[in-house]
Amino acid sequence: MAAVVDARRNRILLVLLVVLHFAAISHQVDGGGGVSLLQRGLFTLLSPLQRGMGATVYGFRELWDGYGFHRETYRENRRLEERVRYLEALLQERSHLAREAERLRDILGLREILPLRTQVATVISRDGVPWFRSLTIDRGTTSGVTLNAPVMSSTGVVGRVIAVGPHAARVQVLLDRDSGAGVLVERTRATGVVSGQVVQPEAGANDLILKYVPERAEIANGDVVVTSGVDGIYPKGLVVGRVSYVGKGSALFHEVRVQPSARFDRLEEVLVVLREEEDLETPEVVQ
Amino acid sequence: MRRLFWTAVAILGAVLVETALGYLVSGPGRYLDPFLLVVVYCGLSGGEGQGMLAGVAAGWVQDLLFGGPILGLSALAKLLVGFVVGAAGSHFLISGASARVLILLLAAVADALLVQWLASVFGIEASPMSPVTLASRATLTAVAGGALYTMIDRQLQRSER
Repeated sequence: MAAVVDARRNRILLVLLVVLHFAAISHQVDGGGGVSLLQRGLFTLLSPLQRGMGATVYGFRELWDGYGFHRETYRENRRLEERVRYLEALLQERSHLAREAERLRDILGLREILPLRTQVATVISRDGVPWFRSLTIDRGTTSGVTLNAPVMSSTGVVGRVIAVGPHAARVQVLLDRDSGAGVLVERTRATGVVSGQVVQPEAGANDLILKYVPERAEIANGDVVVTSGVDGIYPKGLVVGRVSYVGKGSALFHEVRVQPSARFDRLEEVLVVLREEEDLETPEVVQ
Repeated sequence: MRRLFWTAVAILGAVLVETALGYLVSGPGRYLDPFLLVVVYCGLSGGEGQGMLAGVAAGWVQDLLFGGPILGLSALAKLLVGFVVGAAGSHFLISGASARVLILLLAAVADALLVQWLASVFGIEASPMSPVTLASRATLTAVAGGALYTMIDRQLQRSER
């Protein structure tokens, strides 16, 4: 008897929860855009843990790499083992520092060039689910990051902030098929919109698709594509990538693919473009 | 209360695993779903009620921390998967390692298909998953889950003694 009551209660609960989820998702789809309190709280609570886990994994990986290297060196030359180990470890450390310095120099160089107020942020997690292309950065509202803020790397546009908490924010990268940015071809000033492709990301197709370039517009492989500023999110003139394929599309438009300048799989530090004070008071939300 | 605590710990563990994988491979969500392991274990050990509640909790955390712009898709998919796995667990004897691996495999496939189906129902732009990726993700999740569940069972038996 008790089992029957339990089963009935569970079924009622299931129906209630399904209805509740449908309502919640529908609400977001219809009006959406903002950040929920729950999301903000979870970001605050869990982003330090994520950051800590990242640091631990880096540590363990370096330890593991070091172990493998040392064993190989021992086999190759026993006599010089200590010397080689020391030198290689030193070299590894130096090259790591040099790479880090180079990355930071790139980021800082870009920061100085850009006529915009920016904030450097570190990527702490990326691509958690296969259906959306996003990453999490360690800067939030306390650092001035706002919803829809453009995010850049030293080589090009990365994406825009789609959720922001006090100390972390989630960034929708340009590769996401739901993303979009108004662009123009630097050489010919032909305009269009770039977004992620609808094809399988695992097929190696990490190119962006450039839509709405008129058939009569002049465009060729290698042309540099920059943001046009018309979408109200990305400032004008930021490099997005280079045209990698131009084909015959529909009767009206070219079929164009763009190889993004930003290396999405190797992002460690990024620049978030901050809004001016007056913008912060009335943030412009563009879907 | 104790079960609730361990479920929360397991979800937290899944967050850390997902985060750690993000540092090791590109697009970790394409290879493994640690949240599903929590949902299936709760469903098999606690029945449909616990399965669906664990599914809701794990799905929401996954949506909030790793999902796209629309929240609730993974939560709804995992709620349904948790319920079905719990119902299966309470009607059939699923205690062998191979049976649980099979359940995990089916749950992983069902979860992925549900998310894609729900995305299309709501008109949400979501990258499709190829059959190969779907199969490899389900297999890896099932194998990892089978090993993990065996370890947990051994630990529980040891503590009972």
